[in-house]
Amino acid sequence: MSSLLSIKNLGVNFDTPRGSLEAVRGVDIEIPAGTSVGVVGESGSGKTVMCRAAMGLLQGSNVQRTGTVVFDGNELTAMTKEQVRNLFGSGMAMIFQDPMTALNPVRRIGSQLSEGLRVRLGMSKKDAMVRSKELLELVRIPNPTAVLKSFPYQLSGGMRQRVMIAIAIACNPKLLFADEPTTALDVTVQAQILQLLRELREDLKMSMVLVTHDLGVVAGNTDFVAVMYAGEVVEYAPTTKLFADMRMPYTEALLESIPKIDHKSGTRLSVIAGRLPNPTDRGVGCGFAPRCKYAQEKCHTQHPELQKDPDGHLYRCWFPIGKAL
Amino acid sequence: MRKFTKPTWLAIGWLSLMMFFAIFGWVLPFKSWNFVYEDDLEVGLFTNGHILGTDSNGYDLLASIVAGTRMSIFIAIAAVGLGGLIGSVLGITAAYVRGKVDTVMVTIFNVGLSVPNLVLALALVSVLATNVDINQAVPTWRRVMVLIMSLTIVLIPILGRIARGATLSWTGREFVTAARSMGMRDSKIITKHIVPNVLPALIAVAFLAVGVVIIAEASLSILGVGIPDGASWGGMIARGRNDLEYAPHVLYVPIFFLALTVISTNHLGDVVRAQLDSREAKV
Repeated sequence: MSSLLSIKNLGVNFDTPRGSLEAVRGVDIEIPAGTSVGVVGESGSGKTVMCRAAMGLLQGSNVQRTGTVVFDGNELTAMTKEQVRNLFGSGMAMIFQDPMTALNPVRRIGSQLSEGLRVRLGMSKKDAMVRSKELLELVRIPNPTAVLKSFPYQLSGGMRQRVMIAIAIACNPKLLFADEPTTALDVTVQAQILQLLRELREDLKMSMVLVTHDLGVVAGNTDFVAVMYAGEVVEYAPTTKLFADMRMPYTEALLESIPKIDHKSGTRLSVIAGRLPNPTDRGVGCGFAPRCKYAQEKCHTQHPELQKDPDGHLYRCWFPIGKAL
Repeated sequence: MRKFTKPTWLAIGWLSLMMFFAIFGWVLPFKSWNFVYEDDLEVGLFTNGHILGTDSNGYDLLASIVAGTRMSIFIAIAAVGLGGLIGSVLGITAAYVRGKVDTVMVTIFNVGLSVPNLVLALALVSVLATNVDINQAVPTWRRVMVLIMSLTIVLIPILGRIARGATLSWTGREFVTAARSMGMRDSKIITKHIVPNVLPALIAVAFLAVGVVIIAEASLSILGVGIPDGASWGGMIARGRNDLEYAPHVLYVPIFFLALTVISTNHLGDVVRAQLDSREAKV
């Protein structure tokens, strides 16, 4: 299986007044065509920055991106802005986290939705509107004709997220980055949106990168999972394998912190003590060592290299779980 | 949303009347504003058919006011329009591009703002609108052009900073990144996504700026560097000043019109700003 997106040694640094902030470092991910890859990790672990850096959406003189990103045979990191732009929409597209701010408040849904079609596919205004209506039907929006003429504030959060999805899939992208598409929504709507994404992915044969901090979302919707911690991918494995046989103590701790229905009432929620390391000063050892119950001397002094099991399971730990030492 | 309070309706009404004077003043049955009524020098209000009286030259004050409205409003709208256009182009570009361009632009704006408005306008007008031969009169149109240009230069940094500030806050929004992720060009993002959001803030300030410009134009006229032959409110005030003791209405009539107009534009500016705040809160 060839890779649709291949990220090698991706790093992102932000220059801040308090020094260089290393948001993402040494990320290697392969996304095979036609698959769905989940990216999980706690807030501030670099999930969103990683996706935006992969697409090249981070702008500004204080951003430094290192490493290579190859999408569908094109090395994005070596292309001009103009060339990368031509891949947007029909090659890669992104669904944004917060449907409240990702739509322009002063423009009608129809003009925002048809914009991509007209710019990328060169459709006429009329054709783009017809197609926009079809797209709204595709994402199960009732009464699409009225919605086309609505402003974002007239729609509910779930509806807006559907509009966002419609905008992202408008030009039939090969790869869809879904950056926490359900975080801002309540649980019932969340299930509908995930169901919709799953169906669209099958119908349109898209690959997807699903960013989330909810392991439950990952479990039912992805083929592979990358666990991120402090800007690094610390474990990468097929989803079923990750849940059954994780290597990384951080992944284990994440799973343990999900409340279980069979816990006795009054059981304390299991939490991971401590915080993410300071992103301006990552320290020398493993980033998770201060919070890890298995941590040993070596963890604090040496940064673990990415290790690979014969079956392709990747992890970044000196003392992985489930391995005879 | 469409419900306005009484003062707002009054302000809208007054400004509509002024716009009517400015645009359709010529259909009103007046003789030219500087026609001399030799028999009615400095008569009071409602005398001999002169609704607002006449001044010491025998000019009918109502006719002068109508002619002055045309000049004052034209200068105000032209200066605010030009200043707003140039200021917002500079401000939006600076905020969108960031980096060195932004630094240079902010510095220019700050230097412009550090000079008192009136002093700057005064300096520009007195340098640009004088002839080398002081005995030769400067044509009115050139005075008007210089006045508009000076006031525009004064307004550019004021409106430019507003545009820059608003743009900075809107470019950080996710929908701008979303537009970029769909492969839209920067120029298109600015015209389609930034400008429609920045415009309301600019309109609110533009209303206030119209008031400022009307006052500034009057001040320059009083200082003797405005429109010399008096077809503006400032010119009327300048001439009425001399006869304050004998005929106060000659001074008070233009002041009344000037004050009401400025209060109205300020009030409307506040209304637009309030609408804007509630809209911001909703977004």
